[in-house]
Amino acid sequence: MSHSEAVLEGSGHGHHVPVFEPSPFAVPAKKLAMWLFIISDIMTFAGCLIAYGFLRNAQPDWPRPYQSGTIISVTIMTLIMITSSLTMVLAVRAARAERRHEAFRFTMITLVMGLVFVALHLREWFSMIGQGVTFYKNPWGTGLFGGAYYSVTGIELLHVMAALIAFVIVGMGYKRGRYTSVDLENCGLFWQFINIVWMFVVPLVYLMNVAG
Amino acid sequence: MTNAPEEQGGTGKYYVVYVCMLLISAIELFVAYHRPRGGQLLGTLLILAFIGAILGVLYFMRLASENRNAVIGFAVFTLFVLATINYGWTDSFRLLLGVPYAK
Repeated sequence: MSHSEAVLEGSGHGHHVPVFEPSPFAVPAKKLAMWLFIISDIMTFAGCLIAYGFLRNAQPDWPRPYQSGTIISVTIMTLIMITSSLTMVLAVRAARAERRHEAFRFTMITLVMGLVFVALHLREWFSMIGQGVTFYKNPWGTGLFGGAYYSVTGIELLHVMAALIAFVIVGMGYKRGRYTSVDLENCGLFWQFINIVWMFVVPLVYLMNVAG
Repeated sequence: MTNAPEEQGGTGKYYVVYVCMLLISAIELFVAYHRPRGGQLLGTLLILAFIGAILGVLYFMRLASENRNAVIGFAVFTLFVLATINYGWTDSFRLLLGVPYAK
């Protein structure tokens, strides 16, 4: 008898056994839910990035304001994001092997790098605000630039901050035994997703608009 | 239900992917300052970003070690979402070219 038949049969030896369908993709239900959430979140980011590209493509006077200082800062942010992805995958790997202290340590390293990323991101925002870029106007060209810039980078920043809060709650809970490795893996999936989105934000928002 | 069994092998592949992602970012930076024409720049940057994203999804999100049906299901669903959301591009070209019904 196959595993799925055994599960669906639902009873044996005269005892009542709850009937469960097997998970459709042979992954834990929580993890499947996280994957479905990520796919739906792709729509959010794709919508924002495509709207950004739409506006940039349709506006001949789109500003190209990013000086080398901003690009250096963005490069450091990218380095931090990619490195934090590595530490997070090592945390997940340790969690799956039930090495709780190692998983917690890597999660906290990821958290610290995420905080540095947020700090650098906010620094960029304050720099832009200081140069007179608001949602509706800026000193260089079409007024749509500010709204598009703050929307795309803002939604990325919001996701990063949400992930950092999750790291604190789930990381501490996992160390104390309240959460399982699947919960930490879900946090890891979300963090990796944010990192992948950042790999599209950098070229589209920053590298396409380097000051000439 | 428990997790899938831990994949064989050490952490070496993660470091390889990490280095590849760093290289992709470095190439993107080089290309941006090398300044090919607009369309070429966008195309090159997007191709590099997609390569980085595929590496990230397969190894850092560990999709490569998941059930094969899950990999195919997630890939098809995601590509469908991304493909259908792109219909708006045509309208941005229509606005740029200023055809009468865009006004």
